[in-house]
Formats: sequence, structure tokens, C-alpha cells
Amino acid sequence: MKRLFNGIGPSRRDVLKAGATGLAGFAMSPLLGRGAHAEQWALKNIHETAAAKAKELAGSRNVSLKIMQPSGSLGNVKPVGDLWTKATGIPVHYLEVPLGEINQKVLLEAVSKSGSFDLALPATFGIPDLAESGILVNLDKYAQKYEPTDYQKDVLYTIGDYYKGSLYGYQTDGDTYLMFYNKDWLDNADEQKGFSDKHGYALKVPDTWEQLDAMMEWFHRPDKGMYGGALFRTQYFIAWEWWGRFHAKGFYPLADDLTPQINNDAGIAALEELIAASKFLYPGARTNGLFENFEAFGKGDKFADIGWGGTQKFLNSDKSKIKGRLAFGDMPGGMVNGELLRTPYFNWGWNYVVSSVSPDPEIAYLFSLFACSPVMSTIAVRDPGGYFDPIRGIHYKDPQIQKTYTEEFLVAHKHSMINSIPDFYLKGQGEYFDELRVNIAAADAGTKTAKAALDDCAASWERITRRMGKRSQSVQWHFLKANYPAGIRDRLK
Amino acid sequence: MIETEARDGAGGVHAAGALHVEAEPVGRSGLLARLGIPFNVALVLPAQLTIMVVVVVPTLIVLWLAVTDWQPTQDLAWWQAQFIWFWNFNDLWYDQRFINALIRTVFVVGVCIGVELSLALALALLFVEEWWWKRLAVSVIILPMMVVPVDAANAFFMLFNDRGPINHMITVLIGRPFTFSWLSDPTWAMLPIMLCEIWQWTPLMFLMVLTGMMALPQNQVRAAVALGASPVRIFRRIVLPLLMPVIGIAVLIRSIETFKIFDPVYILTRGQPGGATETISMYMYNGAFVYFRMGYIAAAALIVLVLVLSICIALSKPLKRHT
Amino acid sequence: MPRRLAIFLRRMAVVVAMVIAFFPIFWLFSTLVKPYDGWAAWPPVWISDHPTLQNYRIVFFPKAARAFAAKQSGSLDYKVSGSAWKAFEDSAIISTCATFLSILFGTLAAFSIVRFRTGGPNYAFQFLTVRMMPPIAVVVPIVALFSMLRLADTYFGMILAYTAFTLPFSIWMIRSFIEEAPQELEGAAMIHGMGQMEAFIKVTLPLVKGGILATALFIFILNWSEFLFALVLTSGNVVTVTLQVANYVSASSGKLYGVQAAMGAISTLPVILFGYIIQRHLVRGLTFGAVKR
Repeated sequence: MKRLFNGIGPSRRDVLKAGATGLAGFAMSPLLGRGAHAEQWALKNIHETAAAKAKELAGSRNVSLKIMQPSGSLGNVKPVGDLWTKATGIPVHYLEVPLGEINQKVLLEAVSKSGSFDLALPATFGIPDLAESGILVNLDKYAQKYEPTDYQKDVLYTIGDYYKGSLYGYQTDGDTYLMFYNKDWLDNADEQKGFSDKHGYALKVPDTWEQLDAMMEWFHRPDKGMYGGALFRTQYFIAWEWWGRFHAKGFYPLADDLTPQINNDAGIAALEELIAASKFLYPGARTNGLFENFEAFGKGDKFADIGWGGTQKFLNSDKSKIKGRLAFGDMPGGMVNGELLRTPYFNWGWNYVVSSVSPDPEIAYLFSLFACSPVMSTIAVRDPGGYFDPIRGIHYKDPQIQKTYTEEFLVAHKHSMINSIPDFYLKGQGEYFDELRVNIAAADAGTKTAKAALDDCAASWERITRRMGKRSQSVQWHFLKANYPAGIRDRLK
Repeated sequence: MIETEARDGAGGVHAAGALHVEAEPVGRSGLLARLGIPFNVALVLPAQLTIMVVVVVPTLIVLWLAVTDWQPTQDLAWWQAQFIWFWNFNDLWYDQRFINALIRTVFVVGVCIGVELSLALALALLFVEEWWWKRLAVSVIILPMMVVPVDAANAFFMLFNDRGPINHMITVLIGRPFTFSWLSDPTWAMLPIMLCEIWQWTPLMFLMVLTGMMALPQNQVRAAVALGASPVRIFRRIVLPLLMPVIGIAVLIRSIETFKIFDPVYILTRGQPGGATETISMYMYNGAFVYFRMGYIAAAALIVLVLVLSICIALSKPLKRHT
Repeated sequence: MPRRLAIFLRRMAVVVAMVIAFFPIFWLFSTLVKPYDGWAAWPPVWISDHPTLQNYRIVFFPKAARAFAAKQSGSLDYKVSGSAWKAFEDSAIISTCATFLSILFGTLAAFSIVRFRTGGPNYAFQFLTVRMMPPIAVVVPIVALFSMLRLADTYFGMILAYTAFTLPFSIWMIRSFIEEAPQELEGAAMIHGMGQMEAFIKVTLPLVKGGILATALFIFILNWSEFLFALVLTSGNVVTVTLQVANYVSASSGKLYGVQAAMGAISTLPVILFGYIIQRHLVRGLTFGAVKR
């Protein structure tokens, strides 16, 4: 799998164009044929032009913007908001809701229509539900007017921005799921010899899940205080690892007719391998949440960890004992038809969306254009205490960002971002994934066999699809499939 | 003198032989008279209207929603929801998660009330005598019921953290490290929730029982003591039966309130792991505000309302008779 | 068993009960002053040896917290949330207004029920049924109804909801106080020419005002502590103290125990204070006037 490295490669827009036009009978892609305005708006000062336009639209009216943001992200949002107010004179108010609640709160707004926010930052996987509920403004018409042609070109992951071919919000956070390794152990000559003698291949950052599992087994020596991995076996996180393992075997979760494929042989094998790997994890794997995980891996007595940019922020801080002694890599892949297939996974993200109850959707859109512009998004990502990880190519070159994450990490992060497969962006994502979580956790706990768990899950998935409306789901599924990263799309069945 | 509410809705206490003026519903002049609203009715109107808007009308809406498949996430207003006859009730009948939530809630009520009552009785017995720091003791013991329930739940979250003081104390006790993750374990996660509830409301039961004990007619007890009865016998044959009205009220009211338990469940586990700690309120919250299947949950709400009301009415009759 | 030993054991049992009652509160206050590294340390820090006010600062004075954090490396990041003043303000406004309305409507209704037997013998029972149902059961239609009436996430909507759900308490409690007041005094006043209402206001009300005040504080406590409606009926425009605690979560540190403890401990203080003031009436209140001293 070639490394598509430095922003040179198929732009997101090209990929989406290809995907969209590939849909039989689907309406023309909104991405084609941008209006004349956009050509005049250059990317490099888009933040200035967007602000100016917003100021003009606001005129002498008393306009203000209310942004609903997840608690803890104020550091990413407020600096940008302050600069916006300076440039446009439009004040910004921040509504904080607990981060586990924000998707529900936005959805609740579809019911209550209270007008409490103009913009919100829901988690990306909620966008299908939000779009279907009618609370999100379809941003195509504004994008046509204002979005520069190369606006999304530098953004490394944009799949979640679109639903059924339309734009609903720009991505702000590079939440690709990647691996962390104890470099001291990896580089240790004795370990390397012993491992390669036993397994026949070199001890290095693993390419496949098989290799990772073997390495975790190799390093798992609890009597000596060494553990194979700090991966997650809590009910919430466990499904993500399975998702990665499953895709690495070369399958989509749904067939073209929406029949679940999760319980095919590959799915069952992926689950069984996951369960087998549980033996090589540290004792807290079944109970620890994210932050306990940071601390646990930061002790330096475990071989592998899985996480996001936020994990690195901790591991690279003074609170971590393993600072500077880390190696990084994509989530492992698998061998499909004799060739290595990597399927990194983007499993969270926050998007700026516009509320359909907002009195000034156009200005709200311009804010999101402003906030996700190259200059402003860099300022947002710089905040070390917030959520946003690098998402645009230029972020990786920013000295402050480099200092927070280390250049080595950023190389791996960027690589993982470019090839990330999307989450299950369908209406009812939460329900689908909850079924997955409950069943996988049951299999891991031993109360169900892997096959039974996945069969039950597949049956639930069919019920959910029926309830959500098969035709509607089919439209989105085909759109989503067509937008899997180019190199991966053709290799998945 | 304890008065328990077994009377009709508007009885008044009349001192014997006092002048009793029966109030006549008089219509005042002006607006009310012109509208034909008697004065006494006008007085209850503000309260009644508030209840109508916030409780009665929504309950009627529940009746409608319960026979629809309203999911606001389908971009439908509630009056446009699809009518589906009684299919919600059919689905609820087979919904294991709903049945489990009901059974679990009944279990929680039973355990919590049982423990609260026992502890309350035991504590109250310790307080029948007098000693110099008794008032201080009462003040401290009733502290839990005056804490905001959400803050109490947060405190218990910290206490039962796998590296919290409870585990620390157990570690010291058994001599080896004990870092059990209470709130992540499907079997045990209910314990911190119940302990939080018991901790917070035993003081109330205690106060009620104490009030009851303080007001016991002393002559019966004195007679029994003079006759040589043992403390245990006195308690069982005299004190307990006389306390029954108070205990009855306490149990009824606390049972209703415990049935509604929500704050500790939400703060401590949200019903996780995997629905293992879902009480009926948590189940309905999850169904309505996480999955947005509001029509379905309205049907569940209707079932719960009918259940609770019928049990209350059934229980309040023997209670009225008893007193 | 020797008598003194028995007494000693009984007192010890009381002490144990006191310790158990106080312990979670102690833990809240102990966590309040703990710096970040003490929140989930093992073994846990019972009493911090380097207590800090930073948690308290983050809750109330974010700017000062920022300044402090800038000076001290390793200090908790401060950009996690807006200040809690809004939560305290909103809670105060809603609780006070809702209490006032509840007492006002409740007194009028209680007076009418006691003196005029309005609605017949079972009328007051209807108000009790409001407290019997799990609030979650009506929350869904309330959300739908309030949004139709444009009341969602507004002060007025919250005040209305809180008033409705505390009316049973105010009606039943005030009713029990009015019933305790001797009716002859009113009767005497009326013979001297006062109207019914006037007699009530000038004669009976002063007699029961202590009870009504106690009811008011009791209902204030209920409103201040309320969580479910605040959770569901607000979306950030209105924030109550019970909701604000959940906002103290950060990207790099997860649940900020110390800050949550600070918010929790401080927001529970008014309730503890009022609770002790009306201690005598707590039982009456929580049993709807059924059990009185």
C-alpha cells in the first residue's frame, strides 16, 4: 500500500466526485459546477473573505451566533470565535453540553426547535441521524456560493462531511485510530533476535493484526511486570477494534443489498482473534476508560496501545513516563489475496453544522467556513487542552503543533488519516453499533460464542435497517461505499 | 399526636363546642361573578391550570403517542406521527429490556426500602433515650437527605472508583490489593446505586420512625415494663403495632419515590454496562432521548403509569382502613 | 451485660452511623481541595498534603484560574469550561420564581380546599397523583408540548414545570398547617364583618406563616436539586447547577473530579443550610403533611 504522503494525491473532492457520479440514478453531485463566486475566493485568505461577507450580510442588524459545543472543547472554539468577532463584529456565545450528550441535544432540537443554537459541533457519526431529522441545514447551496474549489483539498478526511451526496458540515478534528508502541522494547536487539527466531519475521511496527497479536503475546510477561497491550476491552471501545480487524480481512459490513456481512467467516474469525488477543492485555483492559488508559500505557510497561491524537498529547507530556520512547503505526491490516491491505479507521470527529432553526444560516455557514479555513483551523488545533487533532495538511507543518505531538507521531498520524475508512455513517448508527458492542462484549466475556454473537447482531441489524427504511439506507450506503478511500474501496468485497 | 392522612379531602379539625362557621362558596362581584366562577373555584384555578398544562395535557398526549410510532428523527411533528394501533404494546410485551427494567426496579425498591426501614428502626431504637450530644448526632445523621441528589451521586461515583476510598478500605481489610471496578461490572454495578439511595434516604425513614416512637403513648409501655415484659417483647407487641401507621406511610411514600429513581442511575452508570443497571426511568430516558423512539416509550410510560397508580390506589385503601 | 458497656456500645453505634452519614460529604470536600494528581491516585489521597484552591477557582473565577495555571506548570488546564456563575444564576432565578408561584397557587388552593371543600372529598388526592408517576413518563410529551409553545429551553418553561411538580407538596403541606390553625378565630373575625378571604389573610395567615415559610424553603430545596427536567428541557441557554457538574470534563484529563467536587460541594450548601433551618418540618413535607411532630 503506497504511502500517500504529503497532500499530493487524489483530493477528497476528486474522490467524492468519482463516488457520486458512480451512483446509478443519483442526482448530480453537488460538488460539480461550483458557482462563479467561489473561483474569486482564494483559499489562502478565505477566513478574511468569509468574515467580510458575513459582516456585509449582517449589515446593521443585531446578529449574534450561538455555538453548541461539547464540554472541554472551549479551547478549540473560543480563540477562533474571538477572532471572528473582531473581524465581523458579530458576537459569539458558547453553549456547553456534556460531550456524551451533544448529539442527543442537537437531535432534541429537532423536536423542541427552541432556536438555542445556530451552529453545533456534534460527533461525526451522528450526522446521518441529524440530517434525516431535519435539524441540519443542507449546506450545498452555500458551498456552491462561497466554498473555494480547493478548500477541501488539504483536508485529509472529509467523508463524514457528506450525507447522501450533500454537504452538512466541515470536519474539525483528525480522529483517526492509530497505534502506539514501546520503542525501547521494539528496538531491543535481544528481543528482536528472540522474536524473529521464533516467528520467522522481524520485530518491527506490525503490518497485520496477526503480527500485532504475536508481538503482544511475545511481550506479555505479567510475572515480570510486562504486558502485551493496553488495548480496550470495555463495551464501548471493543467494537472499534473489531471493526478494524473485520475490514482488514477485506469485507464491507453490508453487502450491496444491505444484508449484513458481519457474521461471515471473516467476521467470526476477526472476533475470535480479538478474543484470543484479550489474553495478552493488561488487567485494566476490561474496565478502564480513555484517561485511565493514557496513564496505564504512560507507565511504560506495556507494548502496544491504540488511540487518537489525544492519546499522544498525554503520552508526550510530563505526566507520561514513556515520553520520547514511542513508535507509531497505522492500525494493523490484513493479508487479502496475498497482498497487504491496511484499513485505518476514523471513528470520531466533530463537524460544524448549521441548525435549520437558525435565523441566519448563511452567516452561520460562513462562520464554519471561517473556522475550518487553513489559518483558523491551525489556531484551533494548536490548543493543547482541547479535542481537535490535526486535520489539514498544513497543520502538520506548524511548529507549535509539532511540539505538542512530535514530528514522528505526525508522520504516522497523517499517513493514517489519508487512508482512513469511515465509520458506519448510516441513520441509526448508534443502534447498529450498540448491537455490535453488546454482542462482541458478550463474546469476549464468554457468554456467547463468536458465531452466535455475530449472528444475533446481524439479525438485529436487519431489523434496524427495516425500521430505518431500506430504500433510504440503501441510498446512503452506496454513497458511503463509493467514498471509501480509493485504494481500499476496490479491495473490499 | 400523630395525624395520619386517612380522612377525606377537606376535613377540618373542630375543637369541641367551638363556633363553627361553614364557609359558603360565595361568588364575588365583578369579573368572577360575570364569568360564573364561584370564588372558591377561582382560588384553585391557578394551581389547577398549571397542573393541566404541565401534567394533564401531556398525559393525554401520551395516550396519543402510545399508539403511534413517533420518532422525531424522521422529521415529523408529533401530530403527524404514524398511527400503528397497539403494536407498541405488542413489542413491549416481547421487549426483554423493558421487562428487565421493570423487574429490576421492583427489586431495587424492595431491597432499598427493606434496608432503609431496618436501619431506620435500629437507629431509632438507639435514640429513644437522652444523652448530651443527642441533638448533634441527629443533625449529622440527617445530613444525607439534605444533599442535592446529583451531588451525592457524584460523591458515590468518586467513592466507588476502582482507585477510590471504598476499595482502599477493603484493601486494608483483606490485606491484598482490591481495585475492583464496581461501576463497570454488570453484576455489581447496581450496588453503588442502591447504596447511594439507601445512604440518602435512611435518615428520612429514621426521622419518621423516631417521630412515631416519640409520640407513643407512654402509659402502655410503662404498664408493660411494670408487668415485667422484656424489651424485645415490648418492642414486638406494643411499639411495632403502634408504629404501623407511620411505617405504612413511610414505606408507601418512599416506595413510590424509589420507584422513580433516576439521578443516581444516570450519574453512576447511565444504565450501563449494557443495560445491567437500567431502572425503568433510565430505560425510558434511554429509549426516548438516546434512541428517540418516543412513541414506543410513550406506550411504556402508559403501562408504568397504570401500574403505579393502580398499586397506589390498591395500597392506600387498606392504609386508610388501618388508621 | 454490664449497663455501662451496653450504653457505650450503643453510643458507638451512633458514632458509626454518624461517620457513615458524613463520609461521602467529607470526601467531596476533601476532593475539592485536591490538586489534579490526587484525584485518582492509588492509594487514594484521603487528606491532601498540598491542598489547592484551583478547583474552586476554575468553578467561580476562570480568569484567576487561568492566571494561576499559567504560573504553575503541571497545573490543570483551565480552558475547560465557562464559569459556573450562569448556572448559579439560572438555578436561583428558576428556583425562586417556581417556589414563589408554587406557594402562591398552593396557598390559594389549600385555603379553598380546607374552607370550602372545593372539588369534593377526593380533590386534593388528584394533586398527589402528580407525584406518583415517574416524571420521565410525562417528559416526552412535555418536550413536544413545550416546543410547540416555544417554551423549550426557556426560563418560563422551566419555572412552569417546576411549579407544577411541587404543587402537590405545597398544597398538602400548607393544607395541614391551615387545618392546625383554629378556625374559630376566622369565624370570629367574620362575625365582626370581615369577608372570608380577608379573615383568612389577616387572621389565619399570620398564624401559619412559619409553616408556609418552611414549605417555601422545602420547595426551594426540591427545585434547586431537580435534575431530570433540567437535563431534558434545556439545551444550553438555561443551565442549572445540577447540570453544570457534568460539564467538567476535559479532553486530556477526563472527568475532572476535583472541579466536579467543588461544584457539587458548593451547590449543595444552600440546600444543606435550608434543610437544617426547616429541619422540624422535613418529615411533614416529605410525607405530604401526613406525619407531623
